[in-house]
Amino acid sequence: MDIVLTHVSKTFKASIGQRPVRALSGLCLEIRRGEVFGIIGRNGAGKSTTLKILMGFLRPDQGEVLLADRPPTDPAARNIVGFLPENPCLYDNLTAREHLEFALRVAGMSPRRERDRIDRALARVSLLEAADRPVRKYSKGMVQRAALAYALVHEPDILVLDEPMSGLDPLGRHLVVELIQEYHAEGHTILFSSHILTDVERMCDRIAILDQGQLKTTVTPDDLTGIADPAGRLSPLEHLFLSTIQTEGTPQP
Amino acid sequence: MIQGTAAVAIISYKEGLRQRLLYGAMLLAVGIIFFSVLLAGLFMRDIAKITLDFCLTAVNLGGLLVPFFLAVHLLARDLERRTVFTILAKPVSRPGYILGKFCGLALLCATIMGILTGATVIALLISKHLYAAVFFQDLSWPAVFVSVGISFLGIAVFIATVVLWSTVTTSSFLATLLTVATYCVGQTVGDMVHFIASKVPGVTITPVVAQTVKAAMYIFPNLAAFDLKLAAAHGQLAPLADILFLLAYGVAYTAATLALATAIFQRRDLT
Ligand SMILES: Nc1ncnc2c1ncn2[C@@H]1O[C@H](COP(=O)(O)OP(=O)(O)OP(=O)(O)O)[C@@H](O)[C@H]1O
Ligand SMILES: [Mg+2]
Repeated sequence: MDIVLTHVSKTFKASIGQRPVRALSGLCLEIRRGEVFGIIGRNGAGKSTTLKILMGFLRPDQGEVLLADRPPTDPAARNIVGFLPENPCLYDNLTAREHLEFALRVAGMSPRRERDRIDRALARVSLLEAADRPVRKYSKGMVQRAALAYALVHEPDILVLDEPMSGLDPLGRHLVVELIQEYHAEGHTILFSSHILTDVERMCDRIAILDQGQLKTTVTPDDLTGIADPAGRLSPLEHLFLSTIQTEGTPQP
Repeated sequence: MIQGTAAVAIISYKEGLRQRLLYGAMLLAVGIIFFSVLLAGLFMRDIAKITLDFCLTAVNLGGLLVPFFLAVHLLARDLERRTVFTILAKPVSRPGYILGKFCGLALLCATIMGILTGATVIALLISKHLYAAVFFQDLSWPAVFVSVGISFLGIAVFIATVVLWSTVTTSSFLATLLTVATYCVGQTVGDMVHFIASKVPGVTITPVVAQTVKAAMYIFPNLAAFDLKLAAAHGQLAPLADILFLLAYGVAYTAATLALATAIFQRRDLT
């Protein structure tokens, strides 16, 4: 198993005058080596919280998390993972190339000797031309691309991506789909969250639907072939998603 | 750990330099040379003292730019803007992050102070060339460099406290406020303790109390203690024991503060 979460719960403590938010309750997930795993769910379902716990940014209140058999707080665990946060924030005054050099340096590689590795990662996200401009001069999609290159420059075994398509143009979206498929073909593990169900449906080996911090269901593409929208307008996954969430009622504010 | 710390220090240093900081330091350096030579000429007495007093104050102020302006930008805002995820998504431990940030900041401070010290030396050499040699009899280069070194150590202590504040607060505004407060306390704590200790005519204070009061002087970061400018201006090298004490105090204080910052940061949820 590359990623294991067992009975993970997380409540955000209340600041003054607010109620505490229970973001995850008893979440269990197991992701196998070489799997493409998608997490879907409405806004506030707990997708980003799950991924942040996995990266050790947040401590779960309960439960156990293992990343390639190590606790996420162990820096060595993060050496074999590439992470793309939602709304990535890079250093304004540094260039994309300098970010990638940093990534290689902390992974124990020499940025000077691994120049072609950096170029390859930049080319993969079509950012070679802008690589030596400071990030503050990038558009939103270019920042997203730079962050993507940053996540995968050290060629990690596991990719964890939080809404990788957000802010990308149609070309960029296509590029991410291709990238995930290439990575999959090389036998790596990919875990990502997304709101674009068609992409999820197309790429994933397994899909988890998360709602109010709980795992509602996990489906495979084979399961989806048996599902059809009676009205014939929605794709199988869209239909499943809506029916799963609507039966749970209580739409969130 | 060391790898991560060094890498964090390097990118923090780079990010700091890109704040047009070096230009500012260079400009200040030229200003120092120009004004101190001019100023000393106006007074036409104690030229070496006046030049040194002016220059060493400027060196110290230049160094203070780092804790006051850059530290909050590089740390508290890093946590606020979530650029910290960029670093911690990589195999960098949280202690490595804190230590790396501190080293980057100390390096920036050393760069600025180095440039300004260079300017000081140039200003002194020019003055020496222009004005009568009699003014420079007392000039002691070792005293000048020791003063700068100790002043750097004091700023390093201050930077460590700013690192601590940045890890305990969630807003860069609060971190700035605490930084200013620390500076005020650090500049006055020594005086206050002296004041309390001397304000008891006729009353005998037990040695325990006296020791406690004296200890208080060093529990708060006693930034004023790192000021050897006056001695340097008079061409006097501070006693070795004093220098060694300040060295030990500065290093111990910095280490303890960073250890506390790390312990707090380890437990913190980053959202
Ligand atoms: N720092 C925080 N403090 C308090 N509550 C938080 C914090 N971060 C997230 N939450 C709450 O936790 C819940 C889950 O948030 P999360 O960011 O995981 O949602 P998400 O599934 O990623 O949503 P989206 O699709 O909008 O990205 C939400 O109800 C949110 O309000
Ligand atoms: Mg999210």
